[in-house]
Amino acid sequence: MSALSITDLSIDFPTTKGVVHAVTGLSLAVARGRRVGFIGESGSGKTTTALAVMQMLAEPGKVAGGSITLGETDMLSLNEEEMRKARLSRVSYIPQGAMNSLNPIMRIEDQLWDGITAHEGTTDREQLKARSDEVLESVGMPARVGQLYPHELSGGMKQRVCIALGVILTPDLIIADEPTSALDVVTQRHVMQTLKDVQDKIGAGLILIGHDMGLMAQSVDELAVLKDGVLVEHGDSRQIIENPQHPYTQELISSVPLVGGDSFLDAEVGAPPINRGEPGVPLLEFKSVSKTYGNVTALQPMSFALDGEVPKIISIVGQSGSGKSTMGSLMLGFNPPSTGQVLFEGQDIAKMNAAQSLEFRKQVQAVFQDPYACFNPFYRVNHALKFPFKQFGYATSEAQVQEKMEEACRAVGLDPSLVLGRYPHQLSGGQRQRLIVARALMLSPKLLIADEPVSMVDASLRATILKNIYDLKDRYGISILYITHDLATAYHVSDYVIVLYQGHVAEAGPPQEVIGNPKHEYTRLLIDSIPWPDLDRSWGTPSTAAEDAERLDRLARDNKTEFRGSVSGFDLELS
Amino acid sequence: MSTIPRAYLLNRLLTLFLTVFIAATLIWIIPRLSPVDPAEIMLGRMAAGAGAVADSEAILAQLRQNFGLDDPLFVQYLKYLWNTVTFNFGLSTATFPTPVSALIAQALPWTLGLMILSLIITFFIGNLLGALMVWEKSPKLVRVAIPAAMVFTSIPPILSGLLLMWIFAAKLRWFPLTGAYGLTVEPGWSWDFAVSVMHHGFLPALSIVIVTFGFWALGMRGLMITVQGEDYVTLAKAKGLRPRYILYKYMIRNAILPQITAFALKVGLLIAGQVLVERIFAYNGMGKLLYDAILDQDFPVIQGVSFVIILMTALSVFIVDLIYPFIDPRIRHEVTS
Amino acid sequence: MSDMPLTRAERKRQRRIRRFDNPWLNPKLFWGAGLLLAIIAVGILGRLFWDPELVFVGSGIPKMPPPGFENLRGQSGTFANPLGTEGSGRDMLALIIIGAPNSLYVGLMASLIGMSVGIFLGFTSGFVGGRTDDVIRVLSDVMITIPPLLILVVFQSAFGDVTLTMMALLIAGFVWQSPTRLIRAQVLSMKQSGYVQMARLSGASTWHIMFKEMLPNLVPYLFGSFIANVTTSIVTAVGLEVLGLGPQRIPTLGRTIYEAINAGALIQNLWWWWGIPTLLLAVMFIGLLLINLGLDEVSNPRLRKLKL
Repeated sequence: MSALSITDLSIDFPTTKGVVHAVTGLSLAVARGRRVGFIGESGSGKTTTALAVMQMLAEPGKVAGGSITLGETDMLSLNEEEMRKARLSRVSYIPQGAMNSLNPIMRIEDQLWDGITAHEGTTDREQLKARSDEVLESVGMPARVGQLYPHELSGGMKQRVCIALGVILTPDLIIADEPTSALDVVTQRHVMQTLKDVQDKIGAGLILIGHDMGLMAQSVDELAVLKDGVLVEHGDSRQIIENPQHPYTQELISSVPLVGGDSFLDAEVGAPPINRGEPGVPLLEFKSVSKTYGNVTALQPMSFALDGEVPKIISIVGQSGSGKSTMGSLMLGFNPPSTGQVLFEGQDIAKMNAAQSLEFRKQVQAVFQDPYACFNPFYRVNHALKFPFKQFGYATSEAQVQEKMEEACRAVGLDPSLVLGRYPHQLSGGQRQRLIVARALMLSPKLLIADEPVSMVDASLRATILKNIYDLKDRYGISILYITHDLATAYHVSDYVIVLYQGHVAEAGPPQEVIGNPKHEYTRLLIDSIPWPDLDRSWGTPSTAAEDAERLDRLARDNKTEFRGSVSGFDLELS
Repeated sequence: MSTIPRAYLLNRLLTLFLTVFIAATLIWIIPRLSPVDPAEIMLGRMAAGAGAVADSEAILAQLRQNFGLDDPLFVQYLKYLWNTVTFNFGLSTATFPTPVSALIAQALPWTLGLMILSLIITFFIGNLLGALMVWEKSPKLVRVAIPAAMVFTSIPPILSGLLLMWIFAAKLRWFPLTGAYGLTVEPGWSWDFAVSVMHHGFLPALSIVIVTFGFWALGMRGLMITVQGEDYVTLAKAKGLRPRYILYKYMIRNAILPQITAFALKVGLLIAGQVLVERIFAYNGMGKLLYDAILDQDFPVIQGVSFVIILMTALSVFIVDLIYPFIDPRIRHEVTS
Repeated sequence: MSDMPLTRAERKRQRRIRRFDNPWLNPKLFWGAGLLLAIIAVGILGRLFWDPELVFVGSGIPKMPPPGFENLRGQSGTFANPLGTEGSGRDMLALIIIGAPNSLYVGLMASLIGMSVGIFLGFTSGFVGGRTDDVIRVLSDVMITIPPLLILVVFQSAFGDVTLTMMALLIAGFVWQSPTRLIRAQVLSMKQSGYVQMARLSGASTWHIMFKEMLPNLVPYLFGSFIANVTTSIVTAVGLEVLGLGPQRIPTLGRTIYEAINAGALIQNLWWWWGIPTLLLAVMFIGLLLINLGLDEVSNPRLRKLKL
């Protein structure tokens, strides 16, 4: 029996520039107890379809044709009040932004109770309390969480509350819109497990919306692949992952980097490395550098020397709060270290005079996580390329600057005539990030700090941008510090990997060792928690959230470091 | 858990203290910077007025003491500060020898009454209308007509007061032109007196309300538009909550928080506006007292009234700040978590 | 006919789309600026086409109504005084021509000074940080609660007469707080933004970051704050004038209202005496509000809903 059936659904958004067909001719059924994944990139219509089921399309979107049937009910024929009653009790929605999905000024239990009251009219406190306690426990949280306010909960806990809300009235269908996108991998695994458990228990159908093929493979029974509002492929998830028919599905699957296996970079072999460093003097050196904010230690004392002679990519891997971004800002001189010194070509960057400082800026550049924020909205995007080029004295004439910009754009695969004269909001995220890479290329520094350069761009573009960055090393001899939470990409691009946990180096060495065959418990936990797009590979050990929390807590106190070998030109030392 | 964090409280107390201190200091310094001596001006006026100033010697002594001409500056300042915090503003020169504090004590309840009434009404109406302008379920009339009418709320209360006074008091004679109560009623706890007070207070209050609610409504509109886009409002809708419940518990309750902060920033201007309304209606409050004092060059009264009004402003801000943590749980936990 | 003329509805739609793309082209801004410019035009053109000497006491018969009306003495108005005369025979039209620009002048002047101080302190606070920041922050928090009117009342009572510029300067002492707070908050958030970090990486000086990277993005906020301050300044100035303070020798709208109330113009039905200055001030405030609403739409795109 199907919980939901969608027939020939079309959704239009009339805009100033004509009607946008967000979804066209989509037909699909979700059976009770089944999990169906909607996968596609931003703008593919996956969230729009889900919102149409809820009858909550954003203005001015509207259903242009087709039907949506929930059980026996034609959802499109319901009036407003009937639809309101159907929400939560028959179809529930677990939103994407768990961080802001709860009312900041209401206690958790009040936010569970008002859902019950709105549908059943129950106002008996004892009864409400019993039900909220029960549902909180079912998602793995103690009942006392009900007394708290949202800001007192972690991201994972907030998402669990949202799941509890989603099942509190035992609906026929649960729609979960990227429920784990804001969570770290370890938490993601537990939250996903909880969601699957409670869904199994109440026997509802589940629609899981997402863009991560690995997460889908580990979570759903059926996959529906959407592209530009059209359902391009739908079927059993094993069949789709192992034997994708549509080229877009094939691309989605192949763009997921795996640990081991073929590199997605297909680097040109035999390209001779370009040497740019000065022999004898390390390009970048940390001398027992540590950083504390108040009484929180962001980075524990660490020393390393990076020799710039042969360009290398050093990856710094960790979850949020691990201290990896702190390292990045220390290297860029945005933040002074609490103890120790950061040296660039033998010179303490905190004690540079104006001329040395300018030279340092010329030689050390960065690519940041959010490509939108990196462009001043007031200027056309070429300002970001032109300004440093002139500031560093590379410019000889306007024509030469223009020519250099165009050359850099072409090198990262952008058509200069289409992008350079535009404003930032007129470009896509991928185009913007590539422009930032082009900027780095144009300035050709000796060192580039790439802080999560691809975490905010669509999956299909990630490989291309990483390839652009990788080329900087091979073709232009730029040493790169790659800061990321993604172990799989770090495995492929780097010469050396440092795994950070709470400001402490957990494991360090060549990627084949550290990521290919982890020794440290933390690295192992991280790798186990990654959902692989491989149905035969189980999603890690079935430990509970509480067990893992305890493990992490113990590891934080341990302060143990696994050294897994070294590469020439990079020496790490912990003090 | 539901107590105010100590650091927050100390911070607010410091602001209150500094506000009062700076205001008092300004009131003390300004006359001393003046090239003309206020005491002389006043005496000159009185002498010119008539020889009828019987107590001129006493007034002179009082002025000397007020301006503290005999002590070193620093001592004068400290004495002044002490007198100010003990509400000892000296004696009025116009109605010598009435203490300034007695005059203020008489006028203050009228101003406070009018202020509390009009501020609360405007805050309530303004925010409600602002919220309804954004709410998708509001009648079309509210969403279209109110914003258009809002344009007139940019006018300061003094101008609206003049218009209302002309229409309802001078032309239609529905309400008395001036005063806080009729001349024929005896002040006291009588029914007649209460009716008279309400009859007299209606126009001054209305002239404040009709023009200042717009300020709150506009602010609320902007905030509601922001809140409307928040994820928790989307989820509230997905929970199938009743629209009115969402409007109140999820939207207004969150959007009102910055409005309360804005109240603290704006209250000074609102009270100043009210003082002017009292002046044109010759309402027996601080505004009229201040205006009469300006006419009579009664400097001790001007100083006293100004100080008390600034103190009232600072206290309103302080009270709002004290209430705030009980409305926003995030402030309560700022320090502990 | 290849070029079909657009229908009314289509043209309207196109205008809306253009407006949506360029937020500065919104009707509120347009009307607001129009109203203010009209008042300025009255001040400038009036001096050319009307005799400003009529502003002096006794230049006409007192309490004459505008043409077409009668006063309580049964005198009907003439075109010698198209807007009537006030209690001491000054011509109302001349009074407005001289008085209206004065109010705007005080407002603009005070706001401009307050704004400059605000920009300076806001940037200093945001960039220097530490103790300097603490002092500026606490000071602006404290000063924002003190109503300017009362301090000015004390000042004027002590000093006697003031000039327009002096009054503007005094008011400016109370309108720097909100731009300071606004700029400080914006600078603090922009300092963390990607493009400011990029500019630092590009070797930009602090000067460049402040004025080339940050300031252009602050423009709509600064404008909004400026206009709000003009309103506050004019309200304060008019308030002082209505209390009988403010410049004593120069005709101002507020002082005219003060004299009208004192002379019992309301009871004597001399509506033109107090009504015309009131109306003019109202137009001024409505203009300022419209500009502010228009600017709100520029800086907060969410207010700009496109209705088709």
